[in-house]
Amino acid sequence: MKRFFKVSLADIFFGSVSFLSALLVLILIFSVLFVLYKESSLAIEKFGVIKFLITNDWDPVKEIFGAAAPLYGTIMTTILSLVVAVPVGVGIAIFLSETAPNFLKTPLGITIEMLAAIPSIIYGMWGLFTLAPIMREYVEPFLQNTLGKIPIIGIIFQGEIMGVSIFTASVVLGIMIIPFIASISRDALNLTPNIMKESAYALGATKWEVIKDVMIPYSKLGIYGGVVLALGRALGETMAVAFVIGHKLDIHLSIFQPATTITVTLANEFTEADTDLYLSALFYLALILFILSFVVLVIAKYFLLRAERGLKR
Amino acid sequence: MNRTVKKRKIISFIALSLSTFSAIFGLFWLVFILFDVIKNGIAGLSLDLFLKDPAPPGMGEGGLRNAFIGQLEIVFFATIIGVPLGILAGTFIAEYARGTKFARIVSILSDIMVSVPSIVIGTFIYSIMVKPIGNINLGAIFGVLFLSVILAVIFGGILNIVVNKILSNVSIKSRSKINFINITVVLITVLFGIGTFIYLSPKLIDRIQGFNGWAGASALAFIMIPVVLRTTEDMLTLVPWTLREAAFALGASYYRVIKDIVYRSAITGIITGVILSISRVAGETAPLLFTSFNNQFFTLDMNEPISSLTVMIFTYAMGPYDDWHKQAWAASLVITLFILLITLIARYIINYKFGKHKAQ
Repeated sequence: MKRFFKVSLADIFFGSVSFLSALLVLILIFSVLFVLYKESSLAIEKFGVIKFLITNDWDPVKEIFGAAAPLYGTIMTTILSLVVAVPVGVGIAIFLSETAPNFLKTPLGITIEMLAAIPSIIYGMWGLFTLAPIMREYVEPFLQNTLGKIPIIGIIFQGEIMGVSIFTASVVLGIMIIPFIASISRDALNLTPNIMKESAYALGATKWEVIKDVMIPYSKLGIYGGVVLALGRALGETMAVAFVIGHKLDIHLSIFQPATTITVTLANEFTEADTDLYLSALFYLALILFILSFVVLVIAKYFLLRAERGLKR
Repeated sequence: MNRTVKKRKIISFIALSLSTFSAIFGLFWLVFILFDVIKNGIAGLSLDLFLKDPAPPGMGEGGLRNAFIGQLEIVFFATIIGVPLGILAGTFIAEYARGTKFARIVSILSDIMVSVPSIVIGTFIYSIMVKPIGNINLGAIFGVLFLSVILAVIFGGILNIVVNKILSNVSIKSRSKINFINITVVLITVLFGIGTFIYLSPKLIDRIQGFNGWAGASALAFIMIPVVLRTTEDMLTLVPWTLREAAFALGASYYRVIKDIVYRSAITGIITGVILSISRVAGETAPLLFTSFNNQFFTLDMNEPISSLTVMIFTYAMGPYDDWHKQAWAASLVITLFILLITLIARYIINYKFGKHKAQ
């Protein structure tokens, strides 16, 4: 009886403490949304939702704020970085799961995972000191002289070349998210049952046909999940972009012009905000970014969960 | 017939070459970055970097001692705050709440929180811990609350042992008396917690104002919690349920089972998760920009702004001086090596653990 007394109290303690921590985690997650909303309520009242999203002005002196420029920069860099990263990432995944000789698979896989662990500030610094000069001297003039000559599309490549631009930022961002896409897609591809691949080979399919018609259809949900997850990462990345985008609150059609993203605006102006409305507008930006990435990550999670469920069946 | 086969083979060859090429292309950039960091970093590396504080620009060689120490401090406290919370919450959703809707919601939400932009977490912590709301710092209250809960738990544990020691000679038969003693102990513990909170709040809350190290540590802890929670959950789910049943059959309480059976078999996995979460936050810059901010001077006081390696790299790399750039590269090299090293250790542990399992 004594023993029972001793044990049950510890049980109550441990159970309630662990319950409290789980509850605390849940509360913390929801309080992010609540606190950001509360802090930005001043700006929401003043500018509304639609008006804030389409206003291009960002004038701390006159206290007129609009999210159009940072939002445009965020979306442009994200899309362009995916254009860079998705083919390469999926290519690496195919290489790692099928093409590569066996002795290379594990070390290469580990290398890719290691590279995902490198902090983003390193990518940013490398972008500023190494990639931006290369872009300024060689790549951007080259693109301007070739693709820039084509009418209509040429507008994208117009303007004075400075090296810090949406284009450079997207390349840095793209390089950074390659490992994410590659490792998730590789895991998805590797889950294809051998028996399916072997059946296709037995029918006389070539290696590429097996990849294209058996492996990719089988693992497409996992690959989508990886791509959308990488998209979420690219949306919210701060340091890799902050160095090379130039932080200029303007919308230009040309991708060779400096611009800004939501994250970069926050990083650069947050500590300088001197009025309540200014700070509130910045919190508003953070709220928009939070909601945007939350939605994207929910979609990614949906794909990954469905992929998992499909495999269990 | 022969021609189509040839054509298919050629297409296959081209496609596979493309995939190989893309692998080389991707690896090229990544190796390029690493090579650049190592090349420029070694050039700036010196003993002074670790032993001296920053010197004003143009006033000779300074170091980054304050940033190294500050980084260690922030990550250390982030670990202290984040890891117990993450492990406890992970335990709850994997054990007590296994299979319930609550567990599922917490698990999916923390999976999402793992990838939420870290700068948003920085703004969140700023608004509760740095920016004073009225005159009351909400984050400091949270901190004191957290501290008093921990103290109360320790106190309750000790009280429990003491009461057991005292009562071990008296035999109590009635169930209601046992319940009464239990409830009294819990009540005393709760009162103790409330007392500590009331006693500590005026002493601590006013001391934390503006940017402070605690805010930085909390921001990093916030990022760590979901990572630790998810790995703990996964690792605990891997422990076979029959193992627990065997222990239950021997009459062990759930707490005993978790402490002596479940944790013992999942400990390697949990430690790996902790290491990975440390490597995840050690390189974070964005959440520190407006929480712990930056400090040109050496300080150990967490109530003040504290400089961290990553924020220092940001400031120095954006600055105009060559000296600064050199030191930023060196600091980058140190932080990259550190993170790669602990990631490798974590991987080694995983391989060791699960490789052994396969062999058995």
